[in-house]
Amino acid sequence: MLMPLKAISALLSYPSADLQAAGDEIITALNVDLGQGALLPPATLHAMAALMREISDGDLYDLQESYVGLFDRSRTLSLNLFEHVHGESRERGGAMVDLLENYRAAGFEPASSELPDHLPVLLEFLAMRPLGEAQEVLADAAHILEALETRLTRRESAYSAVFAALRHISGVTADQEALAELLAIEDDDPDDLEALDEVWEESEVTFAPDPKAGCPQVRDMLAQMDTPINVPSQAAE
Amino acid sequence: MSHLLDRLNFFQSKRLDTFSNGHGETTRENRDWEDVYRDRWRHDKVVRSTHGVNCTGSCSWKIYVKSGIVTWETQQTDYPRTRADMPNHEPRGCQRGASYSWYLYSANRVKNPLIRGKLMRGWRKLRATMNATAAWKALQEDPILRASYVKTRGKGGFVRATWDEATEIIAAANAYTAKTYGPDRVFGFSPIPAMSMVSYAAGSRYLSLLGGTCMSFYDWYCDLPPASPMTWGEQTDVPESADWYNAGYLLLWGSNVPQTRTPDAHFYTEVRYKGTKSAVISPDYSEAAKFGDIWLAPKAGTDAALSMAMGHVILREFHLDRQTEYFEEYTRKYSDFPMLVRLEEKDGKIIPGRFLRADDLQGKLGQKNNPEWKTVAWDTKTKALVSPNGTMGYRWGEGGEWNLEERAKGKDTDLALSFIQDGDHDEVLGVDFPYFGGQATENFVKCEHPDVLTKNIPVKKIKVGKKEIMVATVFDLFCANYGLDRGLGGEWVADDYSKDIPYTPAWAEKITGVPADKIEVVAREFATNAEKTRGKSMVILGAGLNHWYHMDMNYRGIINMLVMCGCVGQSGGGWSHYVGQEKLRPQTGWQPLAFALDWNRPPRHMNSTSAWYAHTDQFRYEQLGVDEILSPTAPEGDWDASLIDYNIRAERMGWLPSAPQLKTNPLEVGKAVKASGKSAAEYVAEQLKSGQMEMSCEDPDAPENWPRNLFVWRSNLLGASGKGHEYFIKHLLGTDHGVLGKDLGEEGGRMPKEAKWHDKAPEGKLDLLVTIDFRMSTTAVYSDIVLPTASWYEKDDMNTSDMHPFIHPLQAAVDPAYESKSDWEIFKSIAKKVSEVAPEILGVETDIVQLPLLHDTPMELAQDQVKDWKKGECDLIPGKTAPNYIAVERDYSQIYAKFTSVGPLLDKLGNGGKGINWNTEVEVQHLRDLNGVVLEEGVSQGMPKLDTAIDACEMILMLAPETNGEVAVKAWHELEKATGLEHAHLALPKEDEKIRFRDIAAQPRKIISSPTWSGIESEHVSYNAGYTNVHELIPWRTLTGRQQLYQDHQWMLAFGEGFCTYRPPVDLKTIEGDFNTEEGQPHVVLNFITPHQKWGIHSTYSDNLHMLTLNRGGPVVWLSEEDAKTAGLVDNDWVEVYNANGALTARAVVSQRMKTGTIYMYHAQEKIVNTPGSEKTGIRGGIHNSVTRTTVKPTHMIGGYAQQSYGFNYYGTVGSNRDEFVIVRKMKKIDWLDTPLTSSEAAE
Repeated sequence: MLMPLKAISALLSYPSADLQAAGDEIITALNVDLGQGALLPPATLHAMAALMREISDGDLYDLQESYVGLFDRSRTLSLNLFEHVHGESRERGGAMVDLLENYRAAGFEPASSELPDHLPVLLEFLAMRPLGEAQEVLADAAHILEALETRLTRRESAYSAVFAALRHISGVTADQEALAELLAIEDDDPDDLEALDEVWEESEVTFAPDPKAGCPQVRDMLAQMDTPINVPSQAAE
Repeated sequence: MSHLLDRLNFFQSKRLDTFSNGHGETTRENRDWEDVYRDRWRHDKVVRSTHGVNCTGSCSWKIYVKSGIVTWETQQTDYPRTRADMPNHEPRGCQRGASYSWYLYSANRVKNPLIRGKLMRGWRKLRATMNATAAWKALQEDPILRASYVKTRGKGGFVRATWDEATEIIAAANAYTAKTYGPDRVFGFSPIPAMSMVSYAAGSRYLSLLGGTCMSFYDWYCDLPPASPMTWGEQTDVPESADWYNAGYLLLWGSNVPQTRTPDAHFYTEVRYKGTKSAVISPDYSEAAKFGDIWLAPKAGTDAALSMAMGHVILREFHLDRQTEYFEEYTRKYSDFPMLVRLEEKDGKIIPGRFLRADDLQGKLGQKNNPEWKTVAWDTKTKALVSPNGTMGYRWGEGGEWNLEERAKGKDTDLALSFIQDGDHDEVLGVDFPYFGGQATENFVKCEHPDVLTKNIPVKKIKVGKKEIMVATVFDLFCANYGLDRGLGGEWVADDYSKDIPYTPAWAEKITGVPADKIEVVAREFATNAEKTRGKSMVILGAGLNHWYHMDMNYRGIINMLVMCGCVGQSGGGWSHYVGQEKLRPQTGWQPLAFALDWNRPPRHMNSTSAWYAHTDQFRYEQLGVDEILSPTAPEGDWDASLIDYNIRAERMGWLPSAPQLKTNPLEVGKAVKASGKSAAEYVAEQLKSGQMEMSCEDPDAPENWPRNLFVWRSNLLGASGKGHEYFIKHLLGTDHGVLGKDLGEEGGRMPKEAKWHDKAPEGKLDLLVTIDFRMSTTAVYSDIVLPTASWYEKDDMNTSDMHPFIHPLQAAVDPAYESKSDWEIFKSIAKKVSEVAPEILGVETDIVQLPLLHDTPMELAQDQVKDWKKGECDLIPGKTAPNYIAVERDYSQIYAKFTSVGPLLDKLGNGGKGINWNTEVEVQHLRDLNGVVLEEGVSQGMPKLDTAIDACEMILMLAPETNGEVAVKAWHELEKATGLEHAHLALPKEDEKIRFRDIAAQPRKIISSPTWSGIESEHVSYNAGYTNVHELIPWRTLTGRQQLYQDHQWMLAFGEGFCTYRPPVDLKTIEGDFNTEEGQPHVVLNFITPHQKWGIHSTYSDNLHMLTLNRGGPVVWLSEEDAKTAGLVDNDWVEVYNANGALTARAVVSQRMKTGTIYMYHAQEKIVNTPGSEKTGIRGGIHNSVTRTTVKPTHMIGGYAQQSYGFNYYGTVGSNRDEFVIVRKMKKIDWLDTPLTSSEAAE
């Protein structure tokens, strides 16, 4: 089992007395050598340890309140990955079905009330897969992981370390375009009124680049009509 | 060259041909790629379900499930066909419904039971050493601990809980409350039972077993039109949408059919293809306006002026100058036009008084049974007074003559509509009518006519002993009220539409802004069509009219038009009120389940408007004085009191229910009753008279009288429907609020006389607020415990609607997501927990339940005169001059056993509704056979099981005449005993039909005709209200037994509403006060209206990203270009909208659609979405209800008086909200308030 992923899955679960007591276990697991040296760099491990300490030493109710506030109640921090990919679109159901089929194909049946795209669920699954596969899956989600990390950092939440770690494991740099898109859509800076306005502004309908040029599709169709009917190249075939 | 080698011998190209100029080609190739699409649309199963939302669609949907996950939905298209020449019902369903499956897995869902962290911390600590009820007691008795969670309501801080722990806290709180204050301090609010009726019933069944209070919704939402009970003795009964197709003329009045009735709108389109003409009346250019052949845009709030002018034209042209045969015949048989009204002298003036009753006459016309409830008319055949069949007195205590045959005492009659002819009247007298047009505020057109208009009436004089009684027919008074000159001379009547006399079209043009000629044309066309088609003119009307303080006038003006033209009860005609419909078609099957009538009777019902008015302390801010609404013609009486005082009187006289009921815990009263050896009624009456016992209503702010626990399920009480939202937050919840105005004490206003005043108003009355929802609504955010419920594709349930006659299932296509459970399972688990926990402090208790004088029972004949026992005007007789008091035994250890089985009272007392009762032992036995019986020893052994929601559905279906033909036939036979006529033919062909849950799962089923409703289901007509009254001669359940256009209760006369008049919106004075700092700043004062939106699932939610995107992504208000200019606004500006009640923030949509003077904010936008902080209040901008406050109306409190008697969701005060004015200004600074609370803020 990929112990670091298993540990992250636990760390990202709802805080409980069990989790508080499992500090050492989790730190050890994070440090497990997977044959290529430590999976995580020291700085990340350090940040994870800080998070773990916060959990171990914290008041359980405060931890739980904060967890519910962050992950259950904030849409932009949802741990359901497809929330960030599909939102409330029709594709979401299908995507979850595919993920579920993956779990089943690997011989596992989900046993929790969480949906298949819940990150701790996915991480536990990946912990039981070859590292290459885990990295591939995480790489696909790299832009989401980084977006969550950015948002959590802004909120000064120690949980940001978890996402930094996952990003590191994935071994890729997030597609900056996709990341920018995610952060742009959701991230309205409360102090920047102009940026705020932009978010809500309805874009003007134009037929770019030259607004007076008319609709490009129509233009192409008209151009096509200009083409003579019996084109020699077609006749030759 | 042979080209042999250029040619392929053994192969050919996969390309076969091209087409469309080479853009397309035909090939032969492997078609595996199609599998992508096949798989994309592959599914494991399709389940029929619908949306149990507060929307009348109840549309059939196919829910596709793949690997246990809902993937998408599509519309079902297998409704039973309609008959030839009628369009079918389908396709039903709108884009909003189609987006629901996307919400199922939304991040907004509540995933686990959530509890306020501070509450959980205190609870666990105490619970470690104490049992559950002791722990809750300790928590409540520690002011610091209690405040720690009460004051953080609405500020986040939830932790997850297990179901076991959450239900234990709830059970402990309920048991403690019952023990300490009384079970009636446990309130429950849930709306629209017709949509997912078992989910509603789960909570109300639990509450009813506990002794808790079920709160009404229809009146609170202000969707209940009190004009309907007043006129017809029926809450709301309307045509199904298919019947629009039978109309010849359609008036859409304040209803936006394409936007808010999307799945039904096709009938409106189709009927126009058939040639039906349509007029649309709407102040704004609504989506419906474009469907109109003519569009009238009256000033909002002046609809009654418009309808009165139309009535003026109809009376002139169809009843007076020419007497339309059909209209005359119809109104003689089916309206109170021929009934006689006594004219009373007051200070030398003559005013219309009570209906003449048999009791007023010598010999009482031979009537021994209820002569005071038998109104009298003049028979032209015998030239004598008669007591016509069918009046309310015939309904109770005798049988056979409660019908609309034109007979009296067994003889045919021909009742006089008028005494206008010489020789018919003895005298022509000036009679006073009140006129309120002069009371308009500066925002409306004010008329210069006097407040009393004296008009000449033909009067007959009747000798009774030595006295002489003056009487006139309703019709003669009615015509005078409409200002019609009939050649009798005198003032204030017109023979010309262009005269400026109240109710002429010229007068109405001044007030409404609608050109007089347009008013005439629409009225004339409406009536002409009705004459030619015998009543196929229809009015579709809605919230636009009903949400005004004087909604009765708006509605009665229209109802009058319909009755004058013989439209009600005719296919294709009538009154189509579509707001917050509540047609729970299998009602009589559902009631025993919902209110546990199978175990104990009566349940505790409460009218929510009065309850919230008192318990959220909105009465402390009341600005509307009774003198502002009292009629100048009011009879003698003690009218000088506050609105809350009127409500207290109404509760005291048994007119309205109370919650809580008595200041003393009713379980303690139960003990005292037992000790006294007297009956409950006798004992309580003595105590009340001596002043030893007090009713709770007299002191709503005393801690003993606070509601302590509140369940909210299937509802967003604080968000969508909390008129006076900020007062809820301040007084009921006790957390940060945005109330800007001062209460009457601080302001030195006029104080209530009967309600006890506390200088310091309580804040935080509720000990526990529990919300059961699938999403984190505004109410959930403010709750102490939030329980995740199954959504509409995750539970078994049923829907019915006003809009179509089908009964439809909701089905669990998948298991409830996350930790959620269905409402049925949730309340079952609470019932189980309370049965375990309550015995710590409660055993078998006697609960004394207070019962108001109910409609459709003999109690509706309780008070033909208004007499207040407390003032010594009569003795206190429970059930007659006061509420009744009834002992109910509750075994708190058996709540779960009772919840999950059908109790013995159905066998013992039978079942029924609306005044009819039948034996139902056969059905209970069938339920035993179908559901199985309880085997465990105990109270429920041998009773039918009610374990699952499907068991509960089967109970409803088995017991209701609408879904069990055998019961329908029984019910019609029972009605036959009262009417003396044969009705069973309406159900006999379906006697063997029994609809089961699995039947409706296979296909929606049409219901069976039943006497619960006034329309029928048949192959010849579509469902239309009043049909059986007109065609089966079953009386309306009113005093006169007819459609009653004159209301003679003393309070109706006192408030000037005997007849319909025009009353301008009232002045709520919400923009005056030192919070108004706009002097010299750009701003505008506008009338605030909250119509239903386009991009929302009715009032349930709008925070789906697609809907937010299609709208503006956050709260918006609409205003006109001119008003925007005045306030210096441009489109998309952030604005603040505020008044004394609170403030809200939103973006401005500046649109030509809007009429100047009005601002719209769509109903049910929430503060959980993109709402910045308000500069005015410093807290997050409120919602549409932040600037509203409830104001009650005395005429809605009337009780014990025929049709004006209380019924749950039938009659009572209504929460109007359209008379509000607000100040609108541009926001200077947008603060999103999204930094976390500092610890000091949280602790405060």
